[in-house]
Amino acid sequence: MTELFLAIGFGLVIASVLALSAVGLSLQFGITNYINFAYGDFMAVGAYIAWTLNTGPMHWNIWVSMIAGGVSVGILAVLLNRFLLAPFARKFQKLFYILIVTFGLSLVLLNLVSSVWGTEVQRYSISNESPFHVGPFLFTIDELVVVAIAIVAMLLIHFMLTRTRLGKSMRAMSDNSTLAMTSGIDTGRITTLTWFLSGLLAGIGGTVLGITQASITPGSGETFLFVIFAAVIVGGVGSIYGAMVGAVIVGLATEVAALFIDPSYKLDIAFAILILALLFRPNGLFARPGKA
Amino acid sequence: MDALIAEKVTSGYGRSPIVRDVSITVAAGMITAIVGPNGAGKSTFAKTLAGILRPTSGKIVVNDTDITHVAGHLIPRYGLAYVPQNDNVFRTLTVRENLEVGGYASKKDPRTRMSEIFEIFPDLARADDKKAGNLSGGQQNLLAMARALMAEPTVIVLDEPTAGLSPAYTDVVWRQVELIAKQGTAVLVIEQNVERALTHAQFVNVLVAGANHVHGPVDEIAKLDLGGIFLGRDQTAQDLPADI
Repeated sequence: MTELFLAIGFGLVIASVLALSAVGLSLQFGITNYINFAYGDFMAVGAYIAWTLNTGPMHWNIWVSMIAGGVSVGILAVLLNRFLLAPFARKFQKLFYILIVTFGLSLVLLNLVSSVWGTEVQRYSISNESPFHVGPFLFTIDELVVVAIAIVAMLLIHFMLTRTRLGKSMRAMSDNSTLAMTSGIDTGRITTLTWFLSGLLAGIGGTVLGITQASITPGSGETFLFVIFAAVIVGGVGSIYGAMVGAVIVGLATEVAALFIDPSYKLDIAFAILILALLFRPNGLFARPGKA
Repeated sequence: MDALIAEKVTSGYGRSPIVRDVSITVAAGMITAIVGPNGAGKSTFAKTLAGILRPTSGKIVVNDTDITHVAGHLIPRYGLAYVPQNDNVFRTLTVRENLEVGGYASKKDPRTRMSEIFEIFPDLARADDKKAGNLSGGQQNLLAMARALMAEPTVIVLDEPTAGLSPAYTDVVWRQVELIAKQGTAVLVIEQNVERALTHAQFVNVLVAGANHVHGPVDEIAKLDLGGIFLGRDQTAQDLPADI
């Protein structure tokens, strides 16, 4: 029983990492209507920028480094969209071409990260305090902060989407971008802001992934991308709330399943969930018309 | 006063023009209809006015301002609102949110305007928290019109607002269109149903094969053999002057 609570506890931490990352991917997909296969590499860039600030001469606090890494990736995402992805999307209407471009971008970023920061495993400079009990669960202080960051981020995103003009414009554009434009919404500006938010969440997601896994490598974001896909597809492609729910389901399922099978098969469990979702509920739990 | 003037507008998709040298004027407080056979370019012309398609030549003027090269999202601020035939509401947003989005192009407090809109469209007031995608087709068309009116446009372009609706709901929609015109808005309606256009509009433009065929007051247009014009039988109509 203790092991089950331990697994659920760590499942909640992984769900938090997943929620941050999956919502970022979903926000961008909702607006552009294509999957960004370089998203995992965006996470790696954020993780390494945070690592440089955290362990380099500046020795910034990990959480401040995480924000700086997130903002940097947000800016990078805006620039990549402006000068690479958007021109391709305009030129080639078929989604297949733009998917290939994001694949190519993923390879370029992966190699760039490897050449700038090296391929060896790195760790953040964080306190190694002993875990403590919160009810039946066991957490480290850093894990609790990760869960708190995810909860605050999800609440802020919910507030933005339901209460602000920016959020409603994003939802309107995600629903029907031509109608949004003819209704007076500056779709170019909303696209830019969405890429920034998506990059910000990728950068933060990459750093908290490195904190919870106690290591970062150039390929860690890319490997985790398939778990993110599982969460996004289970929740419903393009649905922000679906991504949140999908993250909790996939996060808990992979950790609890690791009690019964070899933990090295966690990624395969995420794959199995992805396949089951595609077989039995291809549009996800929160299906969005025209987005599957 | 003419709220909308389009002069010799040519536009289409890619390099092939669908509409060629189409001219039209729409007066404030009047309903002007564009009729024509399938493929005549009516919807393409409406999309060009709304900024979805760019004219390759010609000029579009709204309230004495040339909007030909204005960015599409700014066109509602110049006073032209557009309601497409299909996918004309934000399905995942509530009725209230749809109206709010429509009000973004207006400087007026959206809450005040929304109260006015709910008075004109009481059915929508009763369903304000419903997702637009859950409304009936007729209600969605009314919501689309209401959303367009949130920005208090001087010209509203309606692309087949009654397509696919029951006769009863078609009457409801047309009553609203007449009410909008009565309040001083210039209304341009793309209409497939010629009888309806002749019943409700004051001016009619007949578009055939992407070009102006004939236009004028509804009484004059009603005298023509529109069926023949649509089918290309009535060649004499080709020689009618643009203004009857």
